[in-house]
Amino acid sequence: MENLVYIALFAPFVGSMFAALFGMSPKQTFVGIIASSLLFISFAASAVLAFHVYTTGTAIHVTMMEWISAGDLMIPFGFLVDQVSVTMMTVVTLVSTVVHIYSIGYMDHDKSFNRFFSYLSAFVFSMMILVMSDNFAGLFIGWEGVGVCSWLLIGFWYHKEDVAREKNPSISPSWAANEAFIVNRIAGLGMLIGIFIIYWNVGSLQYDVVFADLPNLSSSVLNAAALALFIGAMGKSAQFPLHTWLTDAMEGPTPVSALIHAATMVTAGVFLIIRANPIFSMTPEVSFFIAALGTFVAFFAASMALVNRDLKRIIAFSTLSQLGYMFAAAGLGAYWIALFHLAAHAFFKALLFLGAGNVMHAMDDELDIFKMGGLKKAMNWTYIYMGVASLALAGIPIFAGFFSKDAIIETAFNEGTYVLWAILVLTAGMTAFYSFRQVFLTFHGAKRYKDEIHPHEMYKFVLIAMAPLAILAVIAGFFMGGFQTFVTKLLPNYEMSHHTHELIVVLTAVVLVFAVGGIWLAYKKYANGLKRDEKLENSFLYKLLANQYYIPQFYEEFITKPYAMISEKMWKDIDMKIVDATVDGIAKFLYKSGDKARAMQTGNLSNYLNWMAVGGVLLLIVAAISAMLA
Amino acid sequence: MDNILSILVFFPAIAGLLGFVVDKESARAYGITVAAIEFLLSLWLWFSFDTANAGMQFVEMIPLIPSFGISYYIGVDGISLFIILMATLMTLIGMVGMSTTKNIKNMIITLLFLEMTMVGVFVALDAIIFYLFWELSLVPMLYIIGAWGGPLRIYASVKFFLYTFTGSLIMLVGMLFMAYIYHNTTGIWSFAITDWYALVLPVNYQLWLFVAFFFGFAIKVPMFPFHTWLPYAHGQAPTIGSVILAAVLLKMGTYGFVRFSLPMFPDASVMMITPIAVLAIIMIIYTAMVAYAQKDIKQVIAYSSVSHMGIIMLGIFAMNAEGISGSIFQMLSHGIVSGALFMLVGVIYDRRHTKLMSEFGGLASVMPKYAVIFGIMLMASVGLPLTIGFVGEFLVLLGFYQVSPIMTILAGTSIIIGAIYMLAVYKKSFFGPVTNEANKTLKDLDAKETWSLVPLVLIVIWLGIYPKPVLEPIDNSVKAMLVFMDKKAITQEAKDMIRVSKSTEGGI
Repeated sequence: MENLVYIALFAPFVGSMFAALFGMSPKQTFVGIIASSLLFISFAASAVLAFHVYTTGTAIHVTMMEWISAGDLMIPFGFLVDQVSVTMMTVVTLVSTVVHIYSIGYMDHDKSFNRFFSYLSAFVFSMMILVMSDNFAGLFIGWEGVGVCSWLLIGFWYHKEDVAREKNPSISPSWAANEAFIVNRIAGLGMLIGIFIIYWNVGSLQYDVVFADLPNLSSSVLNAAALALFIGAMGKSAQFPLHTWLTDAMEGPTPVSALIHAATMVTAGVFLIIRANPIFSMTPEVSFFIAALGTFVAFFAASMALVNRDLKRIIAFSTLSQLGYMFAAAGLGAYWIALFHLAAHAFFKALLFLGAGNVMHAMDDELDIFKMGGLKKAMNWTYIYMGVASLALAGIPIFAGFFSKDAIIETAFNEGTYVLWAILVLTAGMTAFYSFRQVFLTFHGAKRYKDEIHPHEMYKFVLIAMAPLAILAVIAGFFMGGFQTFVTKLLPNYEMSHHTHELIVVLTAVVLVFAVGGIWLAYKKYANGLKRDEKLENSFLYKLLANQYYIPQFYEEFITKPYAMISEKMWKDIDMKIVDATVDGIAKFLYKSGDKARAMQTGNLSNYLNWMAVGGVLLLIVAAISAMLA
Repeated sequence: MDNILSILVFFPAIAGLLGFVVDKESARAYGITVAAIEFLLSLWLWFSFDTANAGMQFVEMIPLIPSFGISYYIGVDGISLFIILMATLMTLIGMVGMSTTKNIKNMIITLLFLEMTMVGVFVALDAIIFYLFWELSLVPMLYIIGAWGGPLRIYASVKFFLYTFTGSLIMLVGMLFMAYIYHNTTGIWSFAITDWYALVLPVNYQLWLFVAFFFGFAIKVPMFPFHTWLPYAHGQAPTIGSVILAAVLLKMGTYGFVRFSLPMFPDASVMMITPIAVLAIIMIIYTAMVAYAQKDIKQVIAYSSVSHMGIIMLGIFAMNAEGISGSIFQMLSHGIVSGALFMLVGVIYDRRHTKLMSEFGGLASVMPKYAVIFGIMLMASVGLPLTIGFVGEFLVLLGFYQVSPIMTILAGTSIIIGAIYMLAVYKKSFFGPVTNEANKTLKDLDAKETWSLVPLVLIVIWLGIYPKPVLEPIDNSVKAMLVFMDKKAITQEAKDMIRVSKSTEGGI
């Protein structure tokens, strides 16, 4: 079994290194095939491990070697395969395998095909380190590793130039990549502080040691650690106010958006909360804050998705919103439900993004859904896939999202946090609306795209590769019970109270009314083509939403620009004019005084005698004063 | 080879003297050969070094002026061992990658003399010997900047010389005073650092002496507000000068704090934690912001050096093994990474004769190999885990957290603002379309450049994944030093602050 752990972990690494060998040469299809095969091997190993953990119920713990030790600190490279990590491993490698195969088709015409696979596999490797590590420092390796891969992949088309924000809200791929990296660094500092707090209070960073020692810690320490770790989670999972990078990250190739910015990396924050659940279980205030912020983000992101016209950005907002749901569940203590929604969401959201990729491929990279329409005929399979994914996202019964999202909403009710419950229900309606607004505007009605575009369906092997995700988006929900028994061996079980149980039919019905209502509204408005409503589009609220509440502009005006300005001032006004000028001033003073004093050297003996007399007098005065003082 | 340290010190100097008779055409090959032998010798030193022994090894002692207790006294421990290795390595790599052709023979001889002084500083165990090498190191660097530098080279080199020299003189006064007290207390003259260690000083003496030494070291580091000579020196120095300056010469200052200030004045050091930490935090944040404002890539790296030296300073005053070991590791990491970054800037300067970012853009598509290596060094510079840059920075911040959480958070912003200026450099130079015609035909790294940079890349990754071979000997010596400081400290505050590792409590 130990070998399987290493195979699951290192197969993507081998794939990445192999692809890197060809990184600077022209496209080689076999690079994609080998990278995908290695991913599949990693998936197979993860699946076997999952089965092993499922049947035996025991975790596998391996320690590869020592990493950093100094003072009393000892950090090993250790990997833990238990119920939680094996779930993540399986989901990550499954979605990654599909996305790798998909990319062989999608990146077909890209001259940097090989380089793309190198980065993509490197990302999976980092993600595996993140989920498999047995200590917080190892988690941080993966945390930063996925950050770098995300930076490389968002900025994959680095040669594009910067444009004005009005033309493209993300400015340029390289700009968006840097934004993502820097925002994640801000959160990374929070995470590091959390690690420091844990180390100085526990003396170790190993999960098992830390969790065993928690009862000995004071509540202020626990709160500080929980909050610091959550700040780390907020960055990776793009929670408000660190959310702007996620929509800008859509500048990356679409498979990247599907894998990194929907299914896996952005859920790392949720994973951290689930992994460290013993800490968060003991800090109810922080946990409630997490739930409240999650609920807010769910609504906040969904509101921006309502009016957006960019195919990928709508899905990105919906990802943000669903991450909010996951944090709401985790914050309320329903860790296993959060994990289940994480897995289900990974499947249907990746499917949705890949479908969007097909549409982009067909539409010559057009992203504006107002300029699409009527694609149903040309792209039947994509239509079905995106339809299925949207039904799952909207939470329509039998689809995966119904089970997972409904459970989160019920949890909010069960905990008696009715405000959160109401917001989550409302958001469910909004989710259904924007998802189907997108589907109808893209696939239904008359065509609105230019005549020179001839939409065509994606390659067949790509469509086949997407099938597993589609199947899982439909059936994943049926495994909810089994999943619960599996992961609650490790995670605290969360059951609905008797009272909630009685009301379950009513509660489900309420959510369904909102979901179906949302779809119905979208159908009425958009299924028969786009009727622009100028008045609505010019209203304040619409503009506010379309401009993301002006938050990116706010950041630019109040953070980015002042930072650059202050830096400039510090350099020119402080460093040059004060600090350095003082040093030069001292030097100049010495130089000048020497220059002036030189005038004494006249060569005239009587002058020298005069000076000697002055010196003698001065010495006498000094002697007199010192005699008086003594 | 009992005299390995003497050989390490004087071999480059003797070879440098012999260099005068070497033919001009073969001067480069000669220099590289000497530097390679010197590097192999230092590797040999490492392999025969007993990592379990935390004390001084390979000690040599020859009395020079017995009546004043001045002797040729040298030795090496875990703290200095790797700085010596880095000095010999960076000299070798710098020579291999050097593109200077003007007066190449003089350059080679100068570098070999410089190498002697660098190794000398880090092996010296006698204050006078230390001071001699410390000051002698200024001369070759003065010559390198002044003879091979840019348009402002005379101003820059004189500023460099006078500024650091002023600080050193104050340090010299401190040394003489220290010897005087030693004589007053024990009745014998001694300049041996190990003798000075044994002397327990009253707190007010410690403070005055700390301040005297501080000026010598702080200007060398350079600490804010004594840092302004550095951007000029880097801006004007040729690539090889910047590489050696950033990689090794700056470390003399931080090494001085570890070798002299901490063990000699433990109480004063503890009392000085807050002022030093404040200066270090200003260094970290302020110079990182100044770096962001720069237009010239080399200036960005120069200011970023100051910022990273701030992290090192902070770690030294963490007063626990995590912080101090991390700090010494960070000295090595900064040496390798900033050395490599200066070499990388040199590569583009050789091609375009400009270092202004506005002249570039889109280099990644023209020079992909160059972009990859620059990218790796960038990531090491911003402290990405599994690169050499993370280990030191992480340990320093972790260590200092115990002293002050608030100050650690402030210092920790270095991981954010460090990323801001480095990513800005990368975006402006490497990303975007190739707009400048002159950049369209640039050649990627040639064999010479690749051979000098790839070893550094390998070290960056190797020590990022497996720092143990280096970190363990450092940590052993640091733990022993902390035990010593704890025993020696006279005030209760100092005893409380100095944190002896559990694994060494009661031991050694």
